[in-house]
Amino acid sequence: MKAIGKLFDRIVQRVNINLRELAYDVNPFIKGLIPFRQFVKFYAFYGISPNHPLDLQFRHSNLAGSYFLGKCRVTNSILYKSDIRGDELKKEGDIFRYPNFEIPVSKDERIDIEDSILIKTLVHNFSHDPETLEKFFITNTVSFHYANIHGSPTDGSFLGPLATVDLTTMSDCVIGAFSYIQAGEISHLDIAPGTVWVRSPGNFNFLYRYPQDKLNQYIYFAQGHPPQGFLIDFVEDRKESFQPVFDAVNIEPSVSIPQSASLDRFAVIKPKTHISDNVLVAQRAFLQNAWLGKGANAQENCYIINSRLEGFNVTAHGAKIIEADLGQNVFVGFNSFLRGKPDCRLSIGKGNIIMPHTIIDIKEPLSVPDGHLVWGLINNADDLKANSIPIEAFAKIKGAKKQENMFFEGDGAIFTAAFQNRIHHILETNGAFFNGNNKRGHAQKNQNISFNTIQPYPEGEQVGVYPTIIIRP
Amino acid sequence: MDNYLVKDLMVPLSEYATVQEGSTLYEAVLALEKAQEEFDHTKYRHRGVLILDKNKRVIGKWSHLDALKALEPKPDDDNGIKGLSQFGFSSRFISGLRKRQRLKAAPLQDLCSTTLDMKVEDFMQATVEEQYIDHEASLDIAIHQLVLGNYLSLLVTKTGNVIGILRLADVFAAVYHTMKECSV
Repeated sequence: MKAIGKLFDRIVQRVNINLRELAYDVNPFIKGLIPFRQFVKFYAFYGISPNHPLDLQFRHSNLAGSYFLGKCRVTNSILYKSDIRGDELKKEGDIFRYPNFEIPVSKDERIDIEDSILIKTLVHNFSHDPETLEKFFITNTVSFHYANIHGSPTDGSFLGPLATVDLTTMSDCVIGAFSYIQAGEISHLDIAPGTVWVRSPGNFNFLYRYPQDKLNQYIYFAQGHPPQGFLIDFVEDRKESFQPVFDAVNIEPSVSIPQSASLDRFAVIKPKTHISDNVLVAQRAFLQNAWLGKGANAQENCYIINSRLEGFNVTAHGAKIIEADLGQNVFVGFNSFLRGKPDCRLSIGKGNIIMPHTIIDIKEPLSVPDGHLVWGLINNADDLKANSIPIEAFAKIKGAKKQENMFFEGDGAIFTAAFQNRIHHILETNGAFFNGNNKRGHAQKNQNISFNTIQPYPEGEQVGVYPTIIIRP
Repeated sequence: MDNYLVKDLMVPLSEYATVQEGSTLYEAVLALEKAQEEFDHTKYRHRGVLILDKNKRVIGKWSHLDALKALEPKPDDDNGIKGLSQFGFSSRFISGLRKRQRLKAAPLQDLCSTTLDMKVEDFMQATVEEQYIDHEASLDIAIHQLVLGNYLSLLVTKTGNVIGILRLADVFAAVYHTMKECSV
């Protein structure tokens, strides 16, 4: 384990150098978190299909249990059970639109990971930074369980468990557990756990911060301990279900799949699940007694259990829906946790926007009316009143609003339009509107992907390190 | 101005209002009032109370501004406003929230009654090295220290012990006096 040990120490030191201004030491958080023997235990795998570019390069890295698609280069890094999805990268000749600029993309974009440790992290989407259009970089960074690096070039940063950085270029930042950041560009910030921050400078600024004592019950991460809390327990309790799908080479789907839908072979499908037309189910999704209407999707690390989604629903990366009924066009943001009970179900009306990193966890029946914006921690009807607002009313905000722990400054109409446009775009990209001929998306393009596996040195000085591998068409 | 030495302008510690560490804000207010009554009314009024530890060493100063700060809503009542500037909210937005919060807070009379039992050290300004000056130092040095640190007073020492206070008002009076002499 000498080589992997040296690699580990080298990365931790580089991250600490970047975070020295914040006086942050990542070592106590990560040391011993993943036993080195685990790095040899799991194979890595990659997908090939005629619908995706193929250019994978791995050098002096460990890739245990990780998945790669598209164009990606990994150097001097440790990627543990992470998903690196390069199926939305920009292509040569694309035009990138940015305020006051229309920038031609000069070559195919690539995800470039160097000197980083990513644990159970999802990397997806494309770089939204006009300064680095062709390179979606992640360097000198450590991220923990179920973090999402989504369209966010990242350098010298620390992402706690269940943290999400979305459409944001980030350097030298600490993002606390269960925080969601979409702010364009940030640097040298230490963001407390449970911060939900959506900012477009000059247009709007939305901020919600979880009460720490209540958040700790759901997710808590401290030095010297693995991530704890109900959200982690929930996932760990279902971990065994994924073992068979990773052990078997060929798996026949256990449910009927329409021709226009896509069910990833690395998803877990339990009985009584129904999949309609144009549905997309991504790898590491977990469906149990789940009814997915036309155009619904379940992205990576999603759990949909004993629930019904009427159609055109976005269930973003890491979202969990249990004992709930969702109307059409409901958006459930990243890592949200919506849980009813068998005897007191949760009902979400049509057209709702459940903001990223929202927790609705109830002990009595609760209905969210149609067309609301919902955020934060909700345990009952009073919390819902405090942490929601009709989308139409929100769109009328001009200037400032404070509602309990939520702060908003700017133009509510631009904010709601940005969300609605993005939801439409996600559905479009996922193929929800496919009509048999046009508007193909991931649900149609991802149906026939072949998977190959790669493995590291099994013993010796280089044990755990993958040899240099270059995979091209 | 070289003719003036710090010891010529300082208020001796014995004439200054002091309270022991652990005193309440009410006790500090009483000490300030007593010192003012006993002080020479031809000079500038007292503007602070010194806090002494059990060995009679000065550990901090409690000023008028500190007294007003005690009346402000506490961080626990901050209602999440603290730290908003980190997230790019405008100063106008933040000050608007603070004003609204202040208006919602308890009336001044209620605030006063709840504040009086608070400990003085929770609101004092702890002393720092740059606030000390030797009693033999010249006025120029004193002005430099006051301006550099943006202080309202300095603690005057003799062989390491605090023997008095050099107040900004007294320094200004000396400067004013010198200027008048120059113009004649």
